Amino acid sequence: MTEPQTAEIPKTESEAESTRELPPVVADQLDDEVAPFRPGVAGWLARGAVWALLAWVVFAIPGNVLSPFHLGVSDVGHASKAAIFAIIGLSLNVLIGYAGTISLGHQAFVGVGGFVSAYVVVDMGLEFWLAVPIAAAVGGLQAALLGAVSLRLTGLYFALVTLAYGVFAEETLFGITAFTGGEGGKNVPRPIGFGDDYSFYYLCLAFLAVVLWADWRLVRTKGGRALQALRENPRVASSYGIDVKAYTLMAFVVSGIFAGIGGALLAQQSTFLVPETFDFELALLFVLMTVVGGLRNRVGVVIGSVIFALLEEGTLVHLLHIDGFLDSTIGLPAEFFGLVVGPFLLLLTLTLYPGGIGQQIAPISHWLRGRKFDLHAGKVTEVEVADVRA
Amino acid sequence: MSVLEVTDLNIQFGGVRALDHVSMRAGEWEIVGIIGPNGAGKTTLFNCITGFYRPSKGKIRYRGKSITRLPVHKRTALGIGRTFQNVGLVKNTTVAENLVTAQHLQTNYDPWAGMLGGPATFSEESRLSGRAAQLLELLQLSDVANARVADLPYGVLKRVEIATVLATDPDLLLLDEPGSGMGPEEAHALGDTLLELRKEFGLTIVMIDHHVPLVTGVSDYVYCLNFGEVLAEGKPDEVRNHPEVVRAYLGEEPAETTSEEYV
Amino acid sequence: MITELGIAVINGVFIGCVYALVALGIVLIYRASGVFNFAQAEFGTTGLFAAYAGVVLWGWPYWLSFLFGLAVAMAMGLATERLVINPLRHASRVTLLVGTAGVALAAIGIQFWKSNEQPIRQMPKIVNGIAAEPFGTAVTYQHLVTLGVLIVVAAALAVFFRSPSGLALQAAQQEGTAAELVGISVRRVSMMTWGIAAVLGGLAGILSGPNLTFTAGYLTFGAGAALLPGFMAAVLGGMRSMPGAVAGAMAVGVIEQLGSLSIFGYYTGGGAMMLFFFLLIVLLVRPQGLFVRKAVAT
Repeated sequence: MTEPQTAEIPKTESEAESTRELPPVVADQLDDEVAPFRPGVAGWLARGAVWALLAWVVFAIPGNVLSPFHLGVSDVGHASKAAIFAIIGLSLNVLIGYAGTISLGHQAFVGVGGFVSAYVVVDMGLEFWLAVPIAAAVGGLQAALLGAVSLRLTGLYFALVTLAYGVFAEETLFGITAFTGGEGGKNVPRPIGFGDDYSFYYLCLAFLAVVLWADWRLVRTKGGRALQALRENPRVASSYGIDVKAYTLMAFVVSGIFAGIGGALLAQQSTFLVPETFDFELALLFVLMTVVGGLRNRVGVVIGSVIFALLEEGTLVHLLHIDGFLDSTIGLPAEFFGLVVGPFLLLLTLTLYPGGIGQQIAPISHWLRGRKFDLHAGKVTEVEVADVRA
Repeated sequence: MSVLEVTDLNIQFGGVRALDHVSMRAGEWEIVGIIGPNGAGKTTLFNCITGFYRPSKGKIRYRGKSITRLPVHKRTALGIGRTFQNVGLVKNTTVAENLVTAQHLQTNYDPWAGMLGGPATFSEESRLSGRAAQLLELLQLSDVANARVADLPYGVLKRVEIATVLATDPDLLLLDEPGSGMGPEEAHALGDTLLELRKEFGLTIVMIDHHVPLVTGVSDYVYCLNFGEVLAEGKPDEVRNHPEVVRAYLGEEPAETTSEEYV
Repeated sequence: MITELGIAVINGVFIGCVYALVALGIVLIYRASGVFNFAQAEFGTTGLFAAYAGVVLWGWPYWLSFLFGLAVAMAMGLATERLVINPLRHASRVTLLVGTAGVALAAIGIQFWKSNEQPIRQMPKIVNGIAAEPFGTAVTYQHLVTLGVLIVVAAALAVFFRSPSGLALQAAQQEGTAAELVGISVRRVSMMTWGIAAVLGGLAGILSGPNLTFTAGYLTFGAGAALLPGFMAAVLGGMRSMPGAVAGAMAVGVIEQLGSLSIFGYYTGGGAMMLFFFLLIVLLVRPQGLFVRKAVAT
């Protein structure tokens, strides 16, 4: 069809020749990647040794394999708990770190996962292997419902709704005796083959590995990029064709699923579940460990979560043999160490080291991945974004 | 059929009429320029066309289809791409990453499949980065592909933005002051680049800019807005020498230059 | 049924007085710093612990301990402003929120630690005894004192915000840069606001403490949890209106009590359920708040 007002595309070859071209943009600093750094043989050996050491700490010591220590059942229990907390930390990181919305009711997400899994195993008599996917699905579903209802609200108001939801879940949902066993709590048997604490630890590690994989792929693909764009600037994101609401909801569901898995494992780990566990203080602890670990930093979040999980009952203090010192100098009992010191770590992280643990260990983690040891690695500060004038 | 047809658009903020009975159109492969003093409502018009603002009255049609009530991302899916006055890019990431993000709608897998790490997603990812590299090459930006957006100067970012909006695979390109932050020489080159891009991608372009020579030089048709109203419209030279336009916008007698000077 | 409703309303109003004190502090701080202050209730618990230490542990006179409790709360408020809020003034609001939650948690941690030997404590009342028993529910003198304090505080705030320094404070909250130009120190205004808010929190803690036994985190998530209701009250008032916050607090107090009516008998957490759904409905239907006439841009 030939429209009268259609502009012609007249550019003949001769006209194209006279076209002026935009000058190429030349980067200012070309110091990086002139010759990519490759560690030498000694370098690789050193890195390999550290990797082996890490693997030994994570895999061998808790199983009492090739280890001079002997870890008791309760110590391995703490290790399992640390792995579960890492899953929960990653779950919260999806919301706070990727989507930029805060949840102060995450203990409810985890608790629902725990009680659903317990209900499936105990009251319905189904296998644990079925209970975990069901708990994950219910976790995703409740997150989707809460998200769908409150997506219209922005930042601070949303935080308030999650807080109210957490209190509602703790007092009302978990108070339903038929579902949770009420104040008496509920006994949750472990799956067959993972009855003892040692093998259960490896089960938790396996689930952590799955969650880490999903988190890694999320960030590197469509969904993660969409979340990054909409967190920084929803207007730009939507002009890229991203459905901001749908992807925020997706972040919710992902977070809910991870939390559901974490909750199901937590139910099995403690083998005895009471509603009072899931109070507002736990929600604050989850936020604490995620932020101190370093938002959007997978390794940092895992380390932060592990530290706070171990601090909770003073395990880390015992391990480091500083409990006597603390008790005698300032009279701080080991079990309160995390509770008292943790919040101050949080405030320090916020005000002085916004990248959290993840940023502090960046030189080491970069080095481990075969780059040069650079004390200033990862020191990129986020640029605060004012909304685009549109 | 026009690519873009805006009829009788009205919008007000508080008591201020930001757009007052504005109508405009852009035909296939046309380049339409919009000029006007600051606060004339140019960007507001863009915001209505792309869906950031809901007009209180009036219709916006894209290829005959009414899009007045569509949300922003659906308009992008139809092929409307835009740039922003003060750079609409994800700032805490690299240039190349922005171009991959902007190919959101061309990404052929479900976000959930991506999260689970399906094998198809890996090959699709490398296709996306390949396309990003192509577009950067085209706009002579390859050198800054891995630079963080927040670290780059404004003038470069205006160009990165054009590359990024091309990555959304648009039919209709709305450029908000693409030449700001560029010198006259660079602005000339930008004009030629736009003509090239139109040919290569078959684009219809609507462009706001303060560089009057740039706008009048490349545009097929020009609208001049003032206080939310269309003050004048027509061929570039007509608008440029229109007495009302001269009074409102240039604030002086018509200069003895024509757009010939630009070419 | 009428008796039940009557009891709910009366209890709700008296609990509402505590919520109102917390909510007023939240509104003040929101107007000054644009942050949801999750440490607001902890100012109260900390003040309560301090007052308790004065009265019970050190045997001070009640009035002196009361003032000491308020002073400690105020010191905590000022320290929060200086050490957390001020360094983070350019950070996002969510970061600020996490910061105030961190302050709350730090205070709770220290309370747990310091009250380890005797986790559950009882603060004596200012005046013992029961004033009246409408519908068979006990209205104590402590309740009446709390109501009286709320009225005095509300009146004082109303007068203060119409005085020259109150107007200066409002100006600085709304237009920081402009206020600096005409010679108002934004820094001092910010500290003043946090100080006043912390004293309000302290009043809530010390006045409500004697009603029940208290533990660490008493006013945040403990027996006398007033943080969430306080926020709801502030939201009902549109986050910026102080009369709205007081009215909202009364509404929240009564609605929460309605959750314990016998028709909800089988649920243990009736109050929490009522509050959650009430908050959702209010935020979704009237996000600008119930007790404000016009939407306020935030």
